Amino acid sequence: MLVFDHVSKCFGDLRAVDDLSFELEAGEVFGLLGPNGAGKTTAINMAVGLLEPDEGVVRFADEAFDRNPREAENRRSLGLAPQSIALYEQISGADNLRFFGRLHGLRGSDLEERVAACLDFADLTDVRKKVVSKYSGGMQRRLNLAVAIIHDPELVLLDEPTVGVDPQSRNAIFERVEQLRDAGKQVVYTTHYMEEAQRLCDRVAIIDRGRLMALDTVPALIAAHGGPGNLVVRTGDGESRHETTDPLATLADLQARQTVDHFQYLPPDLETVFLNLTGRALRD
Amino acid sequence: MNKIVAMAAKDIHILFRDKLGFFFTIFFPLMMAIFFGAMFAGLSRGPASIPIALVDADRTAGSARFVGRLETAGGLAIERIPGDQALEQVRRGQTAVLVTLRPGFGAALDNPFVATPEVEMSVDPTQFAAAGMVRGVLLEAAGAELQEFMSDPSRMSVTNEQNRRLIEEFSPASEARDDLLNVLDQIPRIPVLIDEAGLGSVTTGATGGFGPPLEIEQTQVQAQRRGPTNSYATSFAQAMLWTLIGGSVSFSMSIAIERSRGTLMRLLVAPITARQLLAAKGLACLGATLFTSSALITLGITVFDVTPTSYPLLALALLCGSICFCGIMMVLSVIGRTEQAAAGVGWGIALPFTMLGGGMVPLFLMPEWMQTLGNISPMKWTLMAYEGAIWRGFTLSEMLLPCAVLVAIGVVAFSIGATRLRWDTG
Ligand SMILES: Nc1ncnc2c1ncn2[C@@H]1O[C@H](COP(=O)(O)OP(=O)(O)OP(=O)(O)O)[C@@H](O)[C@H]1O
Ligand SMILES: [Mg+2]
Repeated sequence: MLVFDHVSKCFGDLRAVDDLSFELEAGEVFGLLGPNGAGKTTAINMAVGLLEPDEGVVRFADEAFDRNPREAENRRSLGLAPQSIALYEQISGADNLRFFGRLHGLRGSDLEERVAACLDFADLTDVRKKVVSKYSGGMQRRLNLAVAIIHDPELVLLDEPTVGVDPQSRNAIFERVEQLRDAGKQVVYTTHYMEEAQRLCDRVAIIDRGRLMALDTVPALIAAHGGPGNLVVRTGDGESRHETTDPLATLADLQARQTVDHFQYLPPDLETVFLNLTGRALRD
Repeated sequence: MNKIVAMAAKDIHILFRDKLGFFFTIFFPLMMAIFFGAMFAGLSRGPASIPIALVDADRTAGSARFVGRLETAGGLAIERIPGDQALEQVRRGQTAVLVTLRPGFGAALDNPFVATPEVEMSVDPTQFAAAGMVRGVLLEAAGAELQEFMSDPSRMSVTNEQNRRLIEEFSPASEARDDLLNVLDQIPRIPVLIDEAGLGSVTTGATGGFGPPLEIEQTQVQAQRRGPTNSYATSFAQAMLWTLIGGSVSFSMSIAIERSRGTLMRLLVAPITARQLLAAKGLACLGATLFTSSALITLGITVFDVTPTSYPLLALALLCGSICFCGIMMVLSVIGRTEQAAAGVGWGIALPFTMLGGGMVPLFLMPEWMQTLGNISPMKWTLMAYEGAIWRGFTLSEMLLPCAVLVAIGVVAFSIGATRLRWDTG
């Protein structure tokens, strides 16, 4: 189980990650939601041992003891899909999987089974022998994800896995993540799309400028920081917005006074949560 | 037009951004400028002396006079050594040329009417340019001898007397004999007659109707073997050196490529240590350079009739050469962190060192300090090891020096590179 304990990381004067603490729970998809430059990738890089924290500790807490991801042996049970595609373009998808499988100690029929399973997972079985440079962007994304799980890790870290893919491929990736959760993996999922966090993540950590702003389940975050929802109604006078925590009562109230031609309720979402927490929109 | 300027400006901007790459676009030509500048500066003062070994098999006053003339002429650094050792020295690559004055050399020098002085030149096959220069110096000295002889009636008279006695002793009386003796009488008068005819300035340096003042027989020195010498033997040794250089540069680029493509990050996240990663890169480089250099010489052997003097020593040389260049590869990948920088650094370092190592420009053309510097060139030692096994016929003990140097360079460079290599991904 991944633990961040008051972790900070600076690049020169910039505190890319500032006093970040959280603890993953078994079998959850954990979201790191924040705008560009929030420090998500920096946090992931510390989780996998690529970067060493300046302050605090990152560790995998077993029942028995703590393990530092900076040590090679301790990285055995984690898989990373980096934000930018990291594949050998000159060799085939299957060969990429085979290579990284061998690095994790897989051999013979075990290896071939895992390669086949991962190709199937990424829906790339038909093109397994094609070189990666001939893959479409979406195919490369899926392979980038598949390589992360070739060794069947306990903890999978996905750094913005849907960047640059069309809505269809995006849905395909969501399904993969859900499959991982159903298989009992822990997943850390970074994104700056609140819809993704809302749909996929059991708990979401909202970070901004390296700082943890809030951490909870999506409903709890909305309840705590979402504020009232908005009822949008269209009448003969035009369109109007009404903040409300009880949309039915508000609608009844409005209808009593004039004819409502059309209405829409916009419940508070993570976007409003972020706005309320930081005073800024998630995407400006 | 605006668009063209914008695109050009972008390219220049990017070129300047890659500081190391840019450094090498300046540094590399600068190295070349310094290299050739120093070389030509040396040349205008006369090239550095070509080391030659000289064996005087004649041992007469005449041959000694000739050697003295060579010594004062400049251009040659003459080492007098016994004949058998001299040839060995050329074979080992320590001396470019062995000049042997054949018996009868002095006599021919003092009697150009009867005989031409003969020398033998045994040449290191990689040193033909040096051989050409040595030939020039020899001919010039012999020409000067002849001219001196021709302009000294007293010496000619002495020779004439000898020749007259010879003719009278061995030739039976005949009309031809009398004619010959008559002509002989006239010869000492030639310089005087030339002067009297007012031709003194025109014929300065003329040697009359004589042939070349010196007869030179040139042979290539290779280890004792049957069959004719094979020029591919030398060219393949050079080609093998180039494949090592190319291999080490591409491998240093491959680390930069892994960094820029992000796969280095994946490797670092896998449960392997930095040490294992290094070992893998080293092994891959070793395997690849061993393969390409072996493939080249195999081709040379099977298609071009190159016959190595020792296969076990060849294997040793191949291994040591590859070890050396894998170490160099590691240093190159530390210096060049982007693909362009790695390539720039690689070739920017390889070319000057190859030149200093004698791989491109004959060593004797370089000033002394450059030749000394050449001793630290791994290229020099690689060539020596390859040539030693292919055609110089090195013994195991002769092979030990270059091989030890190569392995030492390789190990030191690899450890420097390995400790300095920053395994970060940015
Ligand atoms: N190696 C580095 N050197 C200097 N600054 C860095 C480095 N890596 C990240 N940063 C800075 O740290 C901050 C956080 O970067 P990080 O990549 O972690 O953000 P992110 O949340 O992943 O953003 P994005 O959504 O754009 O991927 C940014 O301001 C970035 O410029
Ligand atoms: Mg990021």
